[in-house]
Amino acid sequence: MARKRKSDALVMPILALIAASAVFFVGEPTSAETVPQPIAFSHKIHVTDYRMNCRFCHSSTNKSQYANVPSVEKCMMCHRTIATDKPEIRKIAQYWKEKKPIPWNKVIDLPNHVYFPHRKMVNAGIACLTCHPGMDQAGTAVQKIEFGMGMCMECHRKKKVTIDCWKCHY
Amino acid sequence: MLDRRQFLKLGGATAFATLFGGCEKVRKKLIPFVIPPDNYVLGEALWYASVCGQCPAGCGVVVRVSEGRARKIEGNPLHPVNRGKLCARGQAALQALYHPERLARPMKLAGARGSGAYKPVSWEEALSLLMTSLKKVRAEAPDSLLMLTEPIRGHAGLVAGRFMKAFGSPHRVAWAPLGADAMLSAHEAVYGLRDLPEHDIANARYLLSFSGDFLETGVSPVHYAREYGRMRGDRETIRGKVVHFGARLSMTAAAADLFVPCAPGTEGFVALGIAHVMVRDGHVSGAGRIADELAAWSPEEVEKRTGVHAHDIAAIAEEFARNPPGIAIAGTAAATGPDAVFQCAAVALLNVLAGNVGKPGGVSFPNRAQAFSKYGAEAALLVPPPASGYPAIRTALEKMRGGAFRMAILAGATNPAFTLPPAVKFNEAMSKVPFVVSFASFLDETSTLADLVLPVPTALEAWGDDVAPVGHAGAVTLCQPVVTPFHDTRSMPDVLIAAAKELGGEPSKALPWGSFKECLDKAYGGPGGEMEKALRRGGFFGESLSPPSAARRGNAALPKSTGRSVDGDPKAFPLALHLYPSIAFYDGRGANLPWLQEMPDPVSTAVWRNWVEVNPKTAAGLGLSEGDGVTVTSPSGKIAAHVVLNPGIAPDVAAMPLGQGHTRYGKFAGGRGENPVSLLPAGETYALQATRVVLAKTKLSTSLARTAHPEGQWNVKNMM
Repeated sequence: MARKRKSDALVMPILALIAASAVFFVGEPTSAETVPQPIAFSHKIHVTDYRMNCRFCHSSTNKSQYANVPSVEKCMMCHRTIATDKPEIRKIAQYWKEKKPIPWNKVIDLPNHVYFPHRKMVNAGIACLTCHPGMDQAGTAVQKIEFGMGMCMECHRKKKVTIDCWKCHY
Repeated sequence: MLDRRQFLKLGGATAFATLFGGCEKVRKKLIPFVIPPDNYVLGEALWYASVCGQCPAGCGVVVRVSEGRARKIEGNPLHPVNRGKLCARGQAALQALYHPERLARPMKLAGARGSGAYKPVSWEEALSLLMTSLKKVRAEAPDSLLMLTEPIRGHAGLVAGRFMKAFGSPHRVAWAPLGADAMLSAHEAVYGLRDLPEHDIANARYLLSFSGDFLETGVSPVHYAREYGRMRGDRETIRGKVVHFGARLSMTAAAADLFVPCAPGTEGFVALGIAHVMVRDGHVSGAGRIADELAAWSPEEVEKRTGVHAHDIAAIAEEFARNPPGIAIAGTAAATGPDAVFQCAAVALLNVLAGNVGKPGGVSFPNRAQAFSKYGAEAALLVPPPASGYPAIRTALEKMRGGAFRMAILAGATNPAFTLPPAVKFNEAMSKVPFVVSFASFLDETSTLADLVLPVPTALEAWGDDVAPVGHAGAVTLCQPVVTPFHDTRSMPDVLIAAAKELGGEPSKALPWGSFKECLDKAYGGPGGEMEKALRRGGFFGESLSPPSAARRGNAALPKSTGRSVDGDPKAFPLALHLYPSIAFYDGRGANLPWLQEMPDPVSTAVWRNWVEVNPKTAAGLGLSEGDGVTVTSPSGKIAAHVVLNPGIAPDVAAMPLGQGHTRYGKFAGGRGENPVSLLPAGETYALQATRVVLAKTKLSTSLARTAHPEGQWNVKNMM
């Protein structure tokens, strides 16, 4: 009896641990999930319907480590005159009027200690959609494939470019 | 009821829930610019060359800037002074730039002077206050304007000098607590030149250091540390030897092959003993009348005065003479004693006897002002002498007390209210000046004495030019803003130029530029010209240079020994006080930067607070042990500190670092012990080694943090 109770006392916390870790590992929002955004921006309209180049807005992809998010000023370059009556565009105009930045939520995030320079990929001729598939059909940004090290390595091996650890992890 | 078991179950479950509940992913934000700056590329670093403004050594720096922020400071590899190296003080300049206590707007006194109560005002209001006072003083008594700054080099010095001259006031005082007054006088007597020489350590084979601090806080530590490295390891089969004489095992002493302890303030006598042996044994030809003067300084006589064994002196003299080129260097401790001119002259004499003046591996005197020869007599404004200005400041204080000054302009990092002994009564004298303006980045002991504080950009945000005191043979370094100034600041030359314009007449003619940048553009060829190229490199280096000024050969004369000894009765005050500049804070200006506060002292390993170093035997006699609180009492003052045992210090010496003990320099500098300068008398010279002290055990509520075992560094037993 005493023995059973003893194991009982041990089992409970362990069960709790398993349950909690299940929530931790499984319950994390998948990358394909749509992230709420302050403005219902549509990538599809800009990229597919109007055939705009990704780099029109994400202009530092070939120059910098980061594929910057466009400034409010850049949105207003066109939307000062285009579709000004649409409710979502009015929201941008309001940010512009108040001279406030649009507080976008981050969709794609790499773990710490990973160095990923966009410009290296873009200048090597890798299409944006290789890593961001479906972005041309999406509304606000989505990430349909998960960025794991395997994905990077597969491509790097195929293209016979460096797979040195220190190239990305420092 | 909850029994123990249930409690544990519940507790366990709660703990897990709490632990993993916290692992929920936090959504990060992406905040774009509203309007991005024109030259902005995310993640792309730009490097700008400029000058390090953290001490007067004038090293060249390159600053990595990305996203409009300065991220890291390194030495400029092209700069002749530091060749890509930089010390901790230079690295910490970033913290001065981003300091939370930096003055962001002009401040007007809103309480009693020195209370630190200020209220922010607009630049318009501040400048109108300044101009009202300047106009009134100029109309009524122009020579009642005092300008008290640190020594200002380059065109900023030209602007300040011309402004004062055109204004009609001769009272321009430059204060540098670690200025080399005694060395200048000694060099005038021995070399025939009132200047600091370049020591070509790299090519020397034998170096005699007389309390030299060239590796830590001397005139250009980064430059000489590199030269020292080259002396030791850059030549095949030759490894230069270093012998250090001094009262304390300093960082430089620890780097020497041989550390020979001598009584404080007697370094020069050892030098004379060595000179005596060199002449006696025929190593010097044609010593002339100096040989007669040296006759009295036999090694036996020197042993009596210094405690250095006669046979050691003879052996070192022999080695020094047989291994040319040999060089002798005096340090801050030798240059700030009561008989400092004589001591420094004795050391300089060794260089003359060794025949190394103007030769590789010896001392030389380059013409530092050559780049400014077009200014004629005004060149001295751009390259001020490396003196402390202490006599001038004492005269100025006398006049202040007499009410001779109606307005004072203060500027610079040398903080006279902190670095001058309280016995000089600087604060009291300043209170007699009706209107005081201070140009400052921080409120410190001196700027809180002002009625109006005008915020200035840091060295990383300003235009300027500089000529370093050693290591460059006359090259000019340019200083440029590496970031857009973060605060609404204006540099002192800019304000003076604007003020001169408004005053009209002479001042306006003397400063004919629209801004300080325009002044520099005119001087260096401006944008599109030579200046643009030089800005990329950091300055004008490697141009054809005129031959160095000729030092007098032979006929060197020793100045008269004053025979003065340290202040205080040896019976009542048994220990000689040895104050040395801190490697982290220099004269105290770095104390508000946490990176420097948390940097352990290389010899004592103590952090965050000041201390008093005592020989373990002396401490045992006084019943003191490691970390104990003591009161340090001199005839002029009394402070409390913690004991650090240092077996490498003379038994009759107590040593303290300068720089801590600020009362008004922000939260990082405050509450870190007391200012040892308050132990000094108000003498005729700024003599850091000029007093005696007595220690008494006391209880302190604080403790001293050290990063190593207190005895671990020197007690072999603890290392095993």
